[in-house]
Amino acid sequence: MLQFILKRVVIIVPMALVVVSLTWGLVRLAPGNFYTSEKKLSPAIEKNIREKYGLDKPVLQQYLIMIGNIVRGDFGDSLKYQDQSVNEILWRTVPVSATIGILAYLLALLIGLTTGTLAALKQNSSLDYGSMAFAMLGQSVPNFVIGPILVLVFSLWLYWLPPARWNGFLGIANLILPVVTLALIYAAYIARLTRAGMLEVLRSDYIRTARAKGLSERAVIFRHALRGGLMPVVSFTGPALAGLLAGTVVIERIFALPGLGNVFIQSCLNRDETLILGIVAFVSVLIMFANLAVDIAYAYLDPRIRY
Amino acid sequence: MKRHCFNNVRLGLAIIALSVFAVGCRTSANSRYFGETVPPTRNILRYVTGPEPESLDPQIPDGQPEARIFLALYEGLVEYDPKDLHPVPAIAESWEISRKIDEFVFHLRKDAKWSDGKPITASDFVYSFRRGFAPETVSRTAELGYFIKYAKAFNAKSVFVKKNNQFLLAKDFAPATEAKTNEPENNKSPENEQAVSSSAIAETEFHQFIKSPDRLVVSGDEKERAKAVEVNPALKTALEDSEFVPVKGEDIGVEAIDDYTLRITLRQSAPFFLGLLAHQFFRPVPQQAIEKYGKAWTRPENIVTSGAFKVKEHKPYDVLKVEKNPNYWDAQNVKLDEIDFYSVEEQTTILNLYKAGSIDAFSNHMIPASWVDEMRPFKDEYLNFPEIFTQYYSMNMKKPPFDNLKVRQAFNLSIDKVALAEFRKTQKPLYDLSPPSISSEYEKARSAVSEELRLKSNTSPEEWANRNHFNPERARQLLAEAGFAVQQNNNAYTCPSFPADKIALSYNTFESNRLVAEFVQAQWKQNLGVIVPLKNMEFKTFLPMKNAVDYDGLALTLWSADYLDPYTFLGLQYGISNNGGSGYYDPKYDRMLDEANSELNPQTRYEKLARAEAYAMNQQPFIPLTVGSTNWMKKPYVKGLYPNPGTLHSWKYVYIERDPSKWDSNVENIMK
Amino acid sequence: MEEEIVKSTSLWRDAWRRLLKNKLAVLGLVVVALMVVAVSIGPAIVEMTTGFTYDYIDKTLTTSQPPSLTHLMGTDDNGHDIFARVLMGGRISLMVGVISTFVSLINGVSYGAIAGYFGGGIDNLMMRIVDVLYAIPYILIVIVLLSVFGGSNTPAWIKAIVDVFGGGQGMSQIILLFIALGAVSWLTMARVVRGQILSLKNQEFVMAARATGVSTFGIIFKHLIPNTLGPIIVYSTLTIPSVMLSEAFLSFLGIGVQAPYASWGSLSHDGINNIAIFPWQLIFPGVTMALTLFSLNFLGDGLRDALDPQQRKF
Repeated sequence: MLQFILKRVVIIVPMALVVVSLTWGLVRLAPGNFYTSEKKLSPAIEKNIREKYGLDKPVLQQYLIMIGNIVRGDFGDSLKYQDQSVNEILWRTVPVSATIGILAYLLALLIGLTTGTLAALKQNSSLDYGSMAFAMLGQSVPNFVIGPILVLVFSLWLYWLPPARWNGFLGIANLILPVVTLALIYAAYIARLTRAGMLEVLRSDYIRTARAKGLSERAVIFRHALRGGLMPVVSFTGPALAGLLAGTVVIERIFALPGLGNVFIQSCLNRDETLILGIVAFVSVLIMFANLAVDIAYAYLDPRIRY
Repeated sequence: MKRHCFNNVRLGLAIIALSVFAVGCRTSANSRYFGETVPPTRNILRYVTGPEPESLDPQIPDGQPEARIFLALYEGLVEYDPKDLHPVPAIAESWEISRKIDEFVFHLRKDAKWSDGKPITASDFVYSFRRGFAPETVSRTAELGYFIKYAKAFNAKSVFVKKNNQFLLAKDFAPATEAKTNEPENNKSPENEQAVSSSAIAETEFHQFIKSPDRLVVSGDEKERAKAVEVNPALKTALEDSEFVPVKGEDIGVEAIDDYTLRITLRQSAPFFLGLLAHQFFRPVPQQAIEKYGKAWTRPENIVTSGAFKVKEHKPYDVLKVEKNPNYWDAQNVKLDEIDFYSVEEQTTILNLYKAGSIDAFSNHMIPASWVDEMRPFKDEYLNFPEIFTQYYSMNMKKPPFDNLKVRQAFNLSIDKVALAEFRKTQKPLYDLSPPSISSEYEKARSAVSEELRLKSNTSPEEWANRNHFNPERARQLLAEAGFAVQQNNNAYTCPSFPADKIALSYNTFESNRLVAEFVQAQWKQNLGVIVPLKNMEFKTFLPMKNAVDYDGLALTLWSADYLDPYTFLGLQYGISNNGGSGYYDPKYDRMLDEANSELNPQTRYEKLARAEAYAMNQQPFIPLTVGSTNWMKKPYVKGLYPNPGTLHSWKYVYIERDPSKWDSNVENIMK
Repeated sequence: MEEEIVKSTSLWRDAWRRLLKNKLAVLGLVVVALMVVAVSIGPAIVEMTTGFTYDYIDKTLTTSQPPSLTHLMGTDDNGHDIFARVLMGGRISLMVGVISTFVSLINGVSYGAIAGYFGGGIDNLMMRIVDVLYAIPYILIVIVLLSVFGGSNTPAWIKAIVDVFGGGQGMSQIILLFIALGAVSWLTMARVVRGQILSLKNQEFVMAARATGVSTFGIIFKHLIPNTLGPIIVYSTLTIPSVMLSEAFLSFLGIGVQAPYASWGSLSHDGINNIAIFPWQLIFPGVTMALTLFSLNFLGDGLRDALDPQQRKF
């Protein structure tokens, strides 16, 4: 087990570098530059910019400099937001996205596990259909539609909650709408995964054995079935959590939150190379660790898997 | 089973119906103000200026959202008048302008201080200008200051040429055609001219240098120089066995005569230069902080400002809080204690914040066209005033079919711009290069020139007035003359010979751009029978393509004035590599503009500019569409915030009125 | 061999029977089928009866009209008939969903099958490549694909398709969008297929095929893949809605379907700005899209239940 973990950890760094290199290539292939703007620059100014940022050097050399910086963990300054370093932007935006993401995921787990388990226990009943229909709401309506509708109802008609903006980690009123909007999507996934996982486990031999042993239905479900039925949810959780850090773009834009997702999309649209690469390096390492954590959790939950 | 699932569907439908009903009710409800209208408890203004500012260094960003922030943080030699943006005294108390309008002497106020208490002197301006043009600063707005003598040479790392210990002069090597453009006829003996009417100012060594005839400036790069020789063989002798002396910051035409007197020398007459000086690029930056902290000088803990406000807190992508600067010379007249600039990008989110009373005002163009009719009734809050912001479609004149003047004219005449403006709701039709809102004097000059041209062309006043207006009949005729006959079959037109599938109308992704494009596309379809494909592109993909005139057909050009002078628009077509996006270049037009700009009498200058504009419009380098209007809102308790044509606010005049009887009622009155 | 086929037909019949038992899945199937019919012939019918098309702008500028007998779903900011646009937008959305899923299917199935069959070092390398691709921001991939291969650089075969079916440059952008979305959504498919192949490749029928001298290619594509069709079909029906949502997200960012074309996603996005004043602009495209995605999801779940081998134990 330890050897397996070590092997996977060691490979993460080269893999992240491959990700960064490919992303760099994509940024270079995309038309336009970070300094392209409405007003055409005079050739002299453009030349000054290219010199300052080393864009006049041979491409290979630029690539090596970039990789060298990334390896040393020196992501540099954002090209567009020159006053801010990439590390600083990460430090500031990640906690915001993480707060919203984790709260949303917890809420989604609560909704998803409950509806999913109930649906599986009463398969093909109206409870099953009803709860699955509710769960699927999040997977059938884009979140840029759900969010504004919630804002319309709770902020602009009822004046209960602020319509947007970040108000610190304790500004709970500002957190409610974005967290609920985001949770709805994940609740849908989790509910469906839980239902599918539970259905499979409930029919398996060891549950039948447990029932045969005369265990109460409660014990069967909570002690045995849930543990096995959670497997798909666990495998979903790793990538989902990593994705939540980078993937809350729509929520961050609609609610004007200073999180990583919006910064990342903007950096792509701005061709802000250092910022893009910094975020990609960070997020890719995170995703790979998340995947590793999933594999470890798998081994813990399922005694049949051994590394 | 069946019953249950249909119950669910029915429930869903009920919810939808309910929400439709609720939405319907809400919109029909009518009240005087839009949403929550309660003044904040402190003297604070909460404002949305757009996306996160690129930098707090005024010499770096080129956008409007940042410009508004810099108006709070930094004060220039001159400031924008809060209502009409003409330059008014600020750190410069008074000034004198040379008769040729190529030299300015500013007398600075003696009580101006930085936010750290240090006095602001002329040498601060000299430092700031030199820093702005320094190649290492990589300022993208430096081009605005190229009128200052040798500023361009310094910025471009060019060199002077020294031979036999003497600097060579530009006039000895100018190619025949360029001589005319660079040195207008009425500019024969600059040496004899008295620089500035005030005789009290002592002559300095620097001034003698800067007023001496222009030195020859060539590129600092050898390859570039070789290219220049190819174009202008006269240079060959100049460059052989010569010494090249780099142009330094000390060589540009900016001089501190004493602590409170600043002299700026230009390379040519530029009557609009004073207005340009209010631009953020020319605002002073703190030498003491920049030298101490280097790159980190803009951090809230290090930054030193010269304006009415200083930085209190900066949470990027969220909020920039600025507070009253007690060291500001006019601090007793600054009414706000704090301004919070929020960074928000989504239009709907901004409107939501405004409606919920979380913000007090927001910047221009933030209300989607579909909302305008909804907002208009809020007469105390909705500000829709003329603006210096224009929309054109550039046409690629280097490629068929738009290399043909008649095709360009046909596409222009087949757009009903009145209907377009009506459809956009906040815009007015545009028929010329520059909008009418720029100055009434220019408007007068333009109509005088127009009348003169009419008499020459022997047309009736009516016909003349409508020559550029919607005329589908004439458009079809022109298109036919260009070789693309328009056929008519039962009320619909077709133009099978026109290569519509080879061209496209390109624009960058933005909802309003799309709406205009779809509208114009429909007009061409209905009036010419030509279906031009639309092509929207991500911004950074679109710009390089348009700037390089590397597209087929038409592309959108949006332009907002850098200063209040028609030249900011007419200059769009000036020079071989211009911002017009059509690939238009006509040396005669350039010459006309140069001549106009060296004209000393402002009225005559306007006339010459108007003549140049009419000349260019005859070649239809692009299709003028509309001129924008401000289109923003403020709560009625926010006073002193005026809908000026650039939405550039002088924050020091803004205050929060707590007495509802003194609130603004009907914003039409506040500009009076 | 013969027996195998007989067995698999009855297997499909079994699954079909089980699917019909699931009322929600059947409802989903019916709605999807109706929707496909509506978007296929709908636009033409609307044009014949009312004269409105997805890009028709009335000269009288009837912008943002509420639903009426002339405009069944009202009009939008530009005066387009929303009914015509919802039908045409549905065509594009469903095409995005189906074609992109097809692209991801071809990619993912062959990639996953090869990785799973060969196993060992090849499998490890191929799966690490998938991991790497997972971490590359797909928005960048889409931007690069759309810009590098858009405009004058459009590949000849896309031009040929557009020439045959019409639609001009807007359509070639849409085709690029299909490819871009397909290119980024095949990764999960590859993982699913690989897992299936791994568990199948040591079963008797594969060994038998190998013993009778069937080529590696034949084993993968004739024996292994047909036996993983169940999960593949299930996963595909779940990919279609997720690709449609991805397209909606791209529309939200402004790099999705190009005007004058629209998709349900872009229509919903246009409508959401006006929800408080012209709610019909959101409600009609939004509800149509949600209904379709609901149905696709239920159908996918139903198919999974029906094809789930575990269930057959009972």
